[in-house]
Amino acid sequence: MPAVIVCPACDLAHRRSEPPLRGRNECVRCRAPLQGPDHRPVETAIALGLCALVLLILGNAYPLVVMHVNGATRETTLVGAALGLYHQDCKALAALVFLTTVIAPLTQIIALLYLLIPLWRRRRARGQSAVFRLLVAVRRWSFMEVFMLGAIVALVRLSNYAHVLPGIALWSCALLMISLSALTAVTSPEQFWAWVERRAT
Amino acid sequence: MKGLITGRRLGLTVCLECRSTVSDAGAVSRPRCPRCFAPLHPRKPHSLGITTALIAAAAVLYVPANLLPVMNTRTFFDNEPDTIMSGVLELLQSGSWPIALLVFIASIVVPLLKILALAVLLYTAWRREPRHQMQRTELYRLVEFIGRWSMLDIYAISLLATLVQVQGFANIIVGWGALAFGAVVVLTMIATRTFDERLLWDAPAHG
Repeated sequence: MPAVIVCPACDLAHRRSEPPLRGRNECVRCRAPLQGPDHRPVETAIALGLCALVLLILGNAYPLVVMHVNGATRETTLVGAALGLYHQDCKALAALVFLTTVIAPLTQIIALLYLLIPLWRRRRARGQSAVFRLLVAVRRWSFMEVFMLGAIVALVRLSNYAHVLPGIALWSCALLMISLSALTAVTSPEQFWAWVERRAT
Repeated sequence: MKGLITGRRLGLTVCLECRSTVSDAGAVSRPRCPRCFAPLHPRKPHSLGITTALIAAAAVLYVPANLLPVMNTRTFFDNEPDTIMSGVLELLQSGSWPIALLVFIASIVVPLLKILALAVLLYTAWRREPRHQMQRTELYRLVEFIGRWSMLDIYAISLLATLVQVQGFANIIVGWGALAFGAVVVLTMIATRTFDERLLWDAPAHG
């Protein structure tokens, strides 16, 4: 490894130093984060990943919103929101919603567990670098926190016309949102490759 | 800024996927990161051209996204089209002004801000403007951070359209405005990715 780190945001070269124990080193010119802590235990990330997986399953198994109107009850799940658009022939929009609220979080969690569980057992996952790049790409399109706020907006708009109740899935999605951000925070690319270096080389 | 040494001057390339610094990437014709095998480029290829095209498309679609109805509420008696703005006004009238403000910012201000901010960044990067790099970098980071929040209304609409399907009472049908709006969000998000923020810092060409 070169003794120099280059800032990915402004291309300034820095002398490589020890990664900080907490907080982060910043680029001296553009203040982009250069290095973060890379000594977290891999078990933390696996635990958070499993937690997120359970919450995602719960979020899809139970209704997100329940609506009572004129004696009828309507409810929807996370997948149901995308399916509703699909049934209205808004296939492109349905695909976008499905991708950003179901596929991306699911792929993010599965890919991470696929990479980390072998590392925990001091092995390398098959196709490690390809799965890592998939993970980096899919994280950008995982919009759980935005979806939560959108669900709140929908609840407020509906509450003028009907009796609406947040379902169990809404609470698990809120917790999922928190565990996904925690998961992303403890599995920075630097941290991931530090685990690979220490545990499987 | 002359005394500062860049990766480019040292022949070092940083991998944007795994953030490792790679030396001698220029020695082969299609260099890849030795650690994560992602393609390496000193700068994102054709960054300014691709980003300009995406922003132009987003700017064009911003018009129908705001003028066409994003959803139609069909009741027994009539058909009420809703644009993004009329949705905001409805929230305002029903007394939930914090939510109205949130939707207004996320759906109307943020997409417009993204398009304008990226246009300014593109223009100054193309001119190789040697000043205000830090401010422009901060503007780029703001655009990067707020980008995803414009999806808010799409999610609200998808839930409304799925829930409000009560036979003989009311149906909500998604309108073309929602598709245009979704396209604006996706195009601006991709444009933010294809723009190479390092171009803001590259020194003006000599001569």
